Amino acid sequence: MFTVDQNKLLSCNFNLLHLHFRIDLLNAHSAPLFVCCISDLYLLVFSPPAPLEPHFTDCVSREQETFRCWWSPGIFQNLSSPGDLRVFYLKKESLSSEWKECPEYIHSNRECFFDRNHTAIWITYCMQLRSQNTRYINEDDCFTVENIVRPDPPVSLNWTLLNVSPSGLSYDVVVIWTPPPSADVRVGWMRIEYEVQYREINTTNWEALEVQPYTKQTIYGLHVGKEYEVHIRCKMQGFSKYGDFSDSIFIQVTDIVTEEPLMFILVLVLGIVGVLILIMLIAITQQHRLMMILLPPVPAPKIKGIDSELLKKGKLDDLNFFLNGGGFGGLPPYAPEFYHDEPWVEFIEVEAEDRDGGGKDDSLTSDTQMLLGLTQTGCHHINLGCSNALGFPNNNLGQTSCYDPAVLEANSLMLMGSLLPGQPEEEEEEEKEAASFNDIKRCPTSAESDENKHNPVQPTWINTDFYAQVSNVMPSGGVVLSPGQHVRTQESSSTTEEETRKKENIIETEEKKQTKLLVVNPEGNGYTVENIRSPPPSTSVSPTEYQTVEPSPMSRSHGNQSANIVPDPPRCQIFTPVADYTVVQELDSHRSLILQPPPPPPPPQQSLPSCVPLKVPIGYITPDLLGSLSP
Amino acid sequence: MLCSVCTAPVCTNAQVGCHAVSLNNLFDRIIQHSAKMHRVSNDLHQQFELHVLPSRNQVGRGGHICHTSTIMTPNGKENAQRMAREGLTQVILQLLMAWTDPLMNLHHSSTNVSVDMSSMVGELRRGVQRLAEKMHTLGLLTDPDSSVVSPEALMTSHPVPWRLMNLYDILYCFRRDSNKVHNYLRILKCRIVPEHGC
Repeated sequence: MFTVDQNKLLSCNFNLLHLHFRIDLLNAHSAPLFVCCISDLYLLVFSPPAPLEPHFTDCVSREQETFRCWWSPGIFQNLSSPGDLRVFYLKKESLSSEWKECPEYIHSNRECFFDRNHTAIWITYCMQLRSQNTRYINEDDCFTVENIVRPDPPVSLNWTLLNVSPSGLSYDVVVIWTPPPSADVRVGWMRIEYEVQYREINTTNWEALEVQPYTKQTIYGLHVGKEYEVHIRCKMQGFSKYGDFSDSIFIQVTDIVTEEPLMFILVLVLGIVGVLILIMLIAITQQHRLMMILLPPVPAPKIKGIDSELLKKGKLDDLNFFLNGGGFGGLPPYAPEFYHDEPWVEFIEVEAEDRDGGGKDDSLTSDTQMLLGLTQTGCHHINLGCSNALGFPNNNLGQTSCYDPAVLEANSLMLMGSLLPGQPEEEEEEEKEAASFNDIKRCPTSAESDENKHNPVQPTWINTDFYAQVSNVMPSGGVVLSPGQHVRTQESSSTTEEETRKKENIIETEEKKQTKLLVVNPEGNGYTVENIRSPPPSTSVSPTEYQTVEPSPMSRSHGNQSANIVPDPPRCQIFTPVADYTVVQELDSHRSLILQPPPPPPPPQQSLPSCVPLKVPIGYITPDLLGSLSP
Repeated sequence: MLCSVCTAPVCTNAQVGCHAVSLNNLFDRIIQHSAKMHRVSNDLHQQFELHVLPSRNQVGRGGHICHTSTIMTPNGKENAQRMAREGLTQVILQLLMAWTDPLMNLHHSSTNVSVDMSSMVGELRRGVQRLAEKMHTLGLLTDPDSSVVSPEALMTSHPVPWRLMNLYDILYCFRRDSNKVHNYLRILKCRIVPEHGC
């Protein structure tokens, strides 16, 4: 049950709870009031009506140093003219204060302004309107100035972009401003807090951020492409009244921001593609060089100065030119030294396909004959116009060529190639060998030569042919030759069977011993010649020396049946080293190589001083030599 | 917060083992504490008003008679700036002194108020006393007549019966006085520690 008493106060009395409310209807604020009467469940919502009589509408201080009050005549319009109503205030400083009139009227605004001299903080002011005969007093018009302070809005609002989200759809901004100029913030007389509000344009709801005392604020989560409106208002710290809102600023970020990551990715991809293309171009253009660097070619066997292409094409002139030492890259005439340095140089063996009759045996025998000078056609005494020259028949063609003994001296002896047995113990054999060697110097005049035109008339001391087939290789390095036996059988006429057998035995016994190789004739068919460094054989029939060379374990055999046992240069200078190779001088019409006589021997090697060059008589080896020989 | 300040001995410029707090730092701490005190008092008053009676200008009915009304305090900015540093410091101390007992009584007697504001006031008072001593040591307080250090003499001059005040008055008056103290401290700092714009 509500009652309104004479003081215009609403009272609500209930039986059970006896709650007593008194609400001033006239001076109630514009804000709605909620009254709940518990027992009867009355919910009374008050929106206080506008007061009818003259009253003060508001009193506000902006900077806590001055304040203003505005009044309204209410429904009494006859009091609306200026001067009809007067403002009086009471400043409750002491118990004996008085009502004073407004120090400054602004009638156009119905405003009363209190300047600094009339403004006191923390002191209660009561306002009063007086007409000519009535006083309109309201107790709620009393206040203290600090409680009516509404600060001015901040100025100089501005915003900057803080960052953009990776998706490019939202961003953050920082809004900055300065305090209101009227508020004395520097001295600390006013401590202001700010409330920032923003909204999307053309919407009604403002988004309010937390009140804070600093002059900047970050707004998170704004959307790209939308425009936002931001305004700020102030209030005093510790107080509740807000000032007016500032002027709005507008924030908008367009879509340019989103393109950055895309551009970056695009540039990166193009860069990588460009680099890849460059690498491929380099690889393609420099392919050969890269291959050379990565996979260096393996050197193929060759002879210096000789172009394999030339050989293939059969350009003999060029080849001879090269081989004769002509040209810059030609072989030097000093072959042995040259070849000593290149053990990997292989033989050059050129065998003519056409031969003057005869099969292999014939060739062999004829070669031997040639070498030995025992053939009818070949005889060093044939009139070739060679004076003091040993004529060595060309076994293939029947031609002879002369070699100056001086030339022969240069590379010492060129013995008729034959394999000598290792143990020339038998003196008979030696003698025979010596004799046989001596026989070389003479033309065979016997009928044997006719018979043995194609058969080699071998001196007895020659047990084997110039060419021999290796039938077995001894572990010690010796070589057992077979065709020699064939030759020997042919010599049975000249030698006794016994001797032959002996020789065979010797040969066989020599299986385990080292056999020595002789120098090969320089004119042989593609044989390489070892240089024998020993005093050259004189034209006389004195026993000349021939050097025996040990067969090296590295003996190689070329061709099919022709045995070439190339001894290595001797480790011990018992005898002068024999050249492994010779120089091909020219090619004859049958495409066989004519070897150059070996050059004069080089000085003996200093590295083996212990070895003493010995003169080995032809046909045998002294025991000293034997001992010094090593496999 | 200010205990470290209170218990630390007053240091001269170069004493061993003494952590000298600068005047600026001391002022900042004190002002921060008084701001907190004012915030608490304001919240208390607002809560009380919401539950009991809404008033338009937070004035309530009629004027409130506070027991600290007898203390002569500057009523405006210019008055406070014109006042001597010693006088201002003295006023601050008087105010703080006057509120220690009523608030202690309020905390013990009333169940509505759970916050013990008397300890806050006590801490602030001790801090201001330390500040006064420091200023006196630095020679900033030149007036020998002002007995800043003896607060008891202040209280005996104008005793006001604070026991007659009800809760509403106490909250209202305390809120007003904490605002006063806060403003006075800021003006004092601006005058003693020169900053930009003071």
